[in-house]
This record gives sequence, C-alpha cells and structure tokens, in this order.
Amino acid sequence: MSAPTTPLVPEPSHEEIQEFLGAYALDAVDPDTASMVEAHLENCVRCAVEVAQHHEVAGFLANSGGSSPTRVWDGIARRLESAGPPSWTLLAARLETGEGQGEGRGDATAEAGEGPDGLPSEAPVPASRRVPISSGRRRQWPVRLAGVAAAAAAVVALLFGVQADHLGHQVTTAQAPPLLSAAEQEALASPTSEQVRLTASPGAPGAPAAGTVTVVLTESGTGFVIGEKLSPLPADKTYQLWGVIGGNDISLGLLGPSPSVVPFSVAGGMPVSAFAITAEHSGGVVHSTNPPVVAGTVKA
Amino acid sequence: MVGLEQASDANLVVGVGRWHQPALAEIYRRHGGSVHALARRIVRSDPPAEEITQEVFLDLWNQPEKFDAQRGTLRSFLLARTHGKSVDFVRSEVARRKREERTSRETATAPYDIDHEVWDIAVAEQVKEALGALPDELRRPIELAYFGGHTYREVAAMLKEPEGTVKSRIRSGLGRLRVNLAEQGVEPAGVER
Repeated sequence: MSAPTTPLVPEPSHEEIQEFLGAYALDAVDPDTASMVEAHLENCVRCAVEVAQHHEVAGFLANSGGSSPTRVWDGIARRLESAGPPSWTLLAARLETGEGQGEGRGDATAEAGEGPDGLPSEAPVPASRRVPISSGRRRQWPVRLAGVAAAAAAVVALLFGVQADHLGHQVTTAQAPPLLSAAEQEALASPTSEQVRLTASPGAPGAPAAGTVTVVLTESGTGFVIGEKLSPLPADKTYQLWGVIGGNDISLGLLGPSPSVVPFSVAGGMPVSAFAITAEHSGGVVHSTNPPVVAGTVKA
Repeated sequence: MVGLEQASDANLVVGVGRWHQPALAEIYRRHGGSVHALARRIVRSDPPAEEITQEVFLDLWNQPEKFDAQRGTLRSFLLARTHGKSVDFVRSEVARRKREERTSRETATAPYDIDHEVWDIAVAEQVKEALGALPDELRRPIELAYFGGHTYREVAAMLKEPEGTVKSRIRSGLGRLRVNLAEQGVEPAGVER
C-alpha cells in the first residue's frame, strides 16, 4: 500500500471557502478563487444553497421592471435560425450527456423525492453518491411479460445505468407540453426507430381509457414515451417505465403522475425486448411488485 | 393543455430542452427586460449589453440543463449569468484601457467610478428600503462589487479596508439583505425549505 500523498498547497477548509461565497456570488473573486469555490460547491450542498440564496438576493438588486427589447429578440431568433434545424440525433446526445454537462449537482431529485411543488423533499445529494436504480435482479410481476424475456438467449452481466439525466428528469417532473417537438417527430417517422404499443392490463389501476401508450426507441437506445393516454395518478404517485433486457426487468425512469411525452435512454444501447409501465409511489421503486398498467413487446 | 403564457418557468425550460423556440421566446418576454437592463447598467453601453443579452438566452437554448430549478428561480439564474458576462466584459475593457494607457504613458487618475444614478433609478422601492436598512459598511462593498463589477480586492483598496474584512462584509451584507427583504415582504424563493 502506498503512503497517502500530501498536497503541496493545503486545500482550503470549508470555513475558509464559506468566507468567499458572497464575493463569489457577485463575481467579485479572481478566476483562480472562482475555480476553487466551484470545486468545493460540487460536493457541498450547504455552500451551493448559500450561493443560490445570494444569487436570489442579487437578482432583486437588479430588478428593473423594464420591457424586453424586441430588437434583441430579433437578433436571438436570427442566430437560432442560422444554426439550422435540430435533429433527433442531437437531441438524443443532449439527453444522454445532460448529466455530464451539468455542474455535478443536476439530477439529485431522482433519489431525493419531490415535494408538492416539484421541489425536492430532501436535501440533494452529490452526484457521486447516486446509484443506478436498476440492479439487474429478476423481479416478480404478477402479470409476467411471458415469452418476451425468453427471447434473450444469453443473459449478460448487465451494467445498466438508468439515465435519469437532468434534462430528462426535468421533463419528467415538469410535465412538458404534449406536442411532439420537431426532433421527436423526426424520430417517430424514422424507419430505423422502433415503435412499441403498450396495451392495458385488465383491471390495472391507471389503465388508459382508450387507445395505447406508445414507446419510441431509436437505434441509439434513446427514446421517449407518449403517455397521454394514461389516466392521471394522485400527486403522491408516479408512473414508472420498465424495460426487459436480458431477461431482467430494469427501471428506465419515472414518468410522473400525469405523463405526456417523456424521454428516456438505455445506457449502452442494450437490446430491450419488452416495455411495461407500473404505478408506484412518487419516489419510484427499485423492484416493483405491482402489476403493469400497460405492457408490450418489441418486435424481433 | 396549458398555454405558454400560463406555463411555469421550469416548464418553459423543458420546452427549450426540446428545442421549442416559442418557449424560449416566452422566457425572453418574461425576463429579457431585466437581463438587458442589468447588462446595460454594468457595461454602460447598448451594443455590448445587447450582445450579452443575446448570449445569455442562446446559452440557455444550448445548455438548458445548466438551470437547476432546485437551486433557485430561472430569473436569478439568468441574472447571475448576465452579471458574470457583464463583469467579464467590463474587466476586459478595463484591462484593454490600462494597456493603452501604459502605452501612451498616461496616468490613470480615477479608474473606479460607480454609477449611483443608475442604481437609484433601477432599484425597486422595497429593495431600496431593504438596502437602505443596511449599515454603510455592509452596503457599499455590495454596491461596488455588484454594479461596479469590481473584485473584493479592488473594493478593499477603494474603501481602504482589509481584504478579509470586505470579503466578510459582502457575505454578511447579502445575508442581512435577505432578511431585510423578507421583512419588506419580498421573499426570495425556491432555494430553502
């Protein structure tokens, strides 16, 4: 075992960093100090919250009540148009990289649970403490997705991280407008995308009144659920999406109590042989014992 | 379906995440005025203020995941970004001017000048009262840093106070201001339960 190394310059203590927080929030520190503070904020919820509070106060100082100049928006719109139309490929990449692009504190709500206004009911946890929802252990559904799991002949050791990425989770919790974006329409129309119809299980709670729930899965393993047909659940409940991969039922994320269009992604693009949606308590579950509300198989 | 006008800020950011341009337009309609006003107040010139405003909203378009609704409102997020960009501009301008001054062997006489006029015009009545309730030694460093775009070290030099003292006063001043705002009925939202 090697001896622990001692840094040449001792790291500043929590208390020393705290003294910088006000000046940091007002952009009144030099770049090196700003980097030092930001590194600390990655792992210190208390200081991150304090900086956010300082930003809120500073925002009031900036209050002007002025109208938004039209000519500036015209400039923004021109620059957006010159960037070209968005594509599903880019959107998928954006969803998949949301966690990494964030500031290390993005999707803590995936574990923290939510209060009635969508804010976390518990203190956020650092990104490094997050664990995948899935474990790869076989779960016992009363209504089995029979025949589907058997299609996967070889059971592989799954390292299957559920991508409850920040952006995707925001979509989950904030209930996006149900209209499909251009990128989603593109994915829906693509011949390489798989459309899976999930049909109701008789008597299951939250079963759709009519029609089916559609899951769109692209080649990259990213997709979205069009969940408008699902009956709204109480606020303390959520729909949860599951995929069958290698014979195991894996959580693909929470859809919220009243989902519209919710993206998800399958890490590593592992083949999914079936999808199902269950109704769970608001924080979701690692292993469900509830019957699927809807389920459907992916064509071979 | 809820219209864009009724949608929450967080909901609009979701729309931006899906490249829904009307969602960005609605965010701009709500917050563009404050963003532009803050940028203009700090950089004191229209062209760079407009450029900064555009950049702030284009950044949101390109990286909506940077906004974390758990940590504050969209407005404070946008204003913090605006402030950072504006200060960067001011400091780069100051640096450029200093280089030019060295070249021409001119002597800088008053490099720091705070525009109090803009301050008085812009700040809402309740916020002014809350700010006015702060002792001078807490209020001045905040003014100089926030609207002047100065580092705490520069503020310390201007006020002839130790750097550590100014650093602490900015922090405690912001904390006191938060309490004062709450007493005025202005409740900073969304960051603490």
